Formats: sequence, C-alpha cells, structure tokens
Amino acid sequence: MNLLFLLHQTICGAIAAAGFGVLFNIGFRSLPWCAASGAVALAVRTYCLGLGWNLEASSFAAALIVGAVVQVLRARTDISQNALDVVGCIPMVPGSFAAKAILGLFALTTIDTADASQTLITAVQYTLRVMFTIGAIGTGLAIPTLLLRVRVTR
Amino acid sequence: MDAIESLMPDDSGSAPALEPIAMVALDAGRMLMEAGASANGVDVIVAKFARGLGAKRVDLRIGYASLAITIGIGSNGITRMREVGHLGVNQRLDQELWHLATRVSQHNLTPDQTRAELTRLATKTPRHSAWVMAVAVGLACAAFGRLLGVDWLGTGPVFLAAAIGQFVRRELLTRHVNVFIAATVVSFLSSLLGGLGARWAGSMTITTAMIASILLLVPGVPSVNAQNDILEGHPTLGSARAVTVAVILIFVAAGLWFGQVLLASWH
Repeated sequence: MNLLFLLHQTICGAIAAAGFGVLFNIGFRSLPWCAASGAVALAVRTYCLGLGWNLEASSFAAALIVGAVVQVLRARTDISQNALDVVGCIPMVPGSFAAKAILGLFALTTIDTADASQTLITAVQYTLRVMFTIGAIGTGLAIPTLLLRVRVTR
Repeated sequence: MDAIESLMPDDSGSAPALEPIAMVALDAGRMLMEAGASANGVDVIVAKFARGLGAKRVDLRIGYASLAITIGIGSNGITRMREVGHLGVNQRLDQELWHLATRVSQHNLTPDQTRAELTRLATKTPRHSAWVMAVAVGLACAAFGRLLGVDWLGTGPVFLAAAIGQFVRRELLTRHVNVFIAATVVSFLSSLLGGLGARWAGSMTITTAMIASILLLVPGVPSVNAQNDILEGHPTLGSARAVTVAVILIFVAAGLWFGQVLLASWH
C-alpha cells in the first residue's frame, strides 16, 4: 500500500465531505466532523481497494465503518446522524460511472451497429456498478443504524 | 339523523382542540422533510410534536409530495393532510427542528407558541452565503476530481467551473426554475467551462475534468434516503425518491452530453 496515495485520497475525501457539508448548510463548527467522516470513508475504501477488493465491496466496508463510527460518536456532535454519515459517504457515490453509463446509452443512437454491442455492454456495466455501489453504500450505512435501533427498542 | 349524531364524538371542550395540534405537527414534519430527512425521522418528529401538544393517538402517512395525519384524544379524532414542497437539504434547520421537538415533547409549549417557533425557524435559520457555498462546492468538486484521476492541471478549472455552476444553480432555484431544467443548465455550463479550462491549461484528463465539474449535481442525500426509506418500511416513498434520482441523473447527463458535443465541435 502506497502511504502517500492513501494520504492523498484521505485528504481529498475530507475536503469533498466538508465542501458538501457547506452545501447542506452544516454550521462551520461542525464541519471538522464532516471532514473526519469523509476522511475515514476514503481511507477505508482506498485500503480495501489496495487489498484487491472490488469497488463495491470496498465501498460497503467503508460505509459500514463510517456508519458505526457515527453511531458511536453521535452524542458528541450536534449534527443529525443521517447527515453526518451521508456527507462522509458522498465522495464514494459513483457519479462519474453514472454519467458514463447514461452517455453510453446516448451514444448508442449515433454509432453504427458494429460498435453498438460493445457500447451497450460498457454502458450496462457502468449502470450495474452504479447500482451495486450505491446499494453497498446504503446498506453499509443502514446496518449500524438498524442494529442500534433494535437494541434500544428491546 | 339521530343515528348519525350518535356516531359523532362528543366534544366536551375539556380536551385541547385537535385542529391546531394536527396542523402544527404536520408543518413540523413538512419542514423536516423539505430539509432532507428520511421518512423515519419525519415519523418520529411528527409524533413528538403531536403528543407533546396533547394528542394521545398519532398515525402518519408519508408520501413524496404530501403528509397525512390522524390524531386522537379520547373518543375524538381528526385526519388532516399537508402538501410538501421541494425536497432540499438544510442541516441547520433539521437540527433546530429536533431541538424544538424536544421542548415540545416536554409539554412546555402550546400549539400557538409552537407555530410561532416554527415560523421563526423557517425565516431566521441562517444559511451560508452564496459565495461561501460556491467556493466550498468548487473545492469539493476539485477534490472529487483528484479522486477520479484528474491531473493537477485540470484541478483548477474544475474548481472554477463547479463554483460558477453552484452560483448559477442557486440563482436559478431562487427564481423557481424547475429543478430538472436547472440541473441540465448547470451541468451543461459547468462541464463546458471545466472542459474548456482543462484544455486551455494543458490537462490530459479533459473528459474526467468535465465529469468532475458536474458532481455538485449528484443527488447523494436523496439516493441514500431512498434506500433508507425502503429498508425502514416506506417502499412507496423510497421508490418515488429513487425515480426522482434517476430522472435527475438523466437530465444531468443530457447537459454533460451537450457540453461534450459543443467542446468537440470547437476542437
């Protein structure tokens, strides 16, 4: 694992999460928590990718850990748990894949039949990766929340 | 006639009036939903408000564009509905609503006082200025760009394109332009500016820079809320959110596609 690359990804995750924190109207005092959430998410995802895991599994692990950490720390922060874990995981949302998938489908209308099958396969691959990655992030975030709710209810 | 009257509940006058309780609780739920909360949060906060103001029974139906509540005290009960506006994200308002819910649940406020507090929150909750938001979004997209593999020469243009895009988006939404149309306009503008800037700067990752410039438009909160809602037993609302996310992505991609076509034609 290249430590410099891990550090780069972690810092970029922190900046992206804090930036989206401002967009979501989170107060300046709470922004360090957003940055920390994004940093943890990207650090875990990068580490897991470095172990050879695929993007979906790495995103799931990162979301699971962010969700669990936010659950543990939520009493110390003045932000809703939902906002904090979503902000942390936003840098992992595969917006680039989503754009490429839809652009691939657009491209199907303009190219000859010989390239169409390859373009379609690529677009479908991107679409599936978007669906599975968003599913992995959502599930990873939901598990700690639902587990804790069960514990409290009992 | 006598039979119908016998079915109507007797309003003794000793119980608090149900109408203001229902409408205040619905307004609290509406504001929380418009601030980006999931269905579970709306369910909890509406129950807190209604019970804190005196209701004994609370049932809520959460739709994408409306909320309906049935509350009761003793043998009396009413059902009311409230329209929900555009679903944005406003964390400080969300936070203030939860603080108010705690006060209401301790039976410290009357419905009129609670209504006044809700009005105050709706008008006085601070927001970051347009410039602060634009700079923050620019930085976020530049960082996103680095995560996607944009080279350093392309990072500056991504920052500028996303910041301008955020500024334009805010202006469009202030003027009540349709959310989907605004997404296409901003996507086109930001991707074109990002692509032109990256090309001018000598970047080798122009296409990725164009995509990074529009990541401010990715509906992250609605997509996570959609899944949360389905997992928490609100599949109708979750499905509606998922469809909205998909349509926003299509409109965003249309803007990006047009930007790419225009940039290619200037090659």
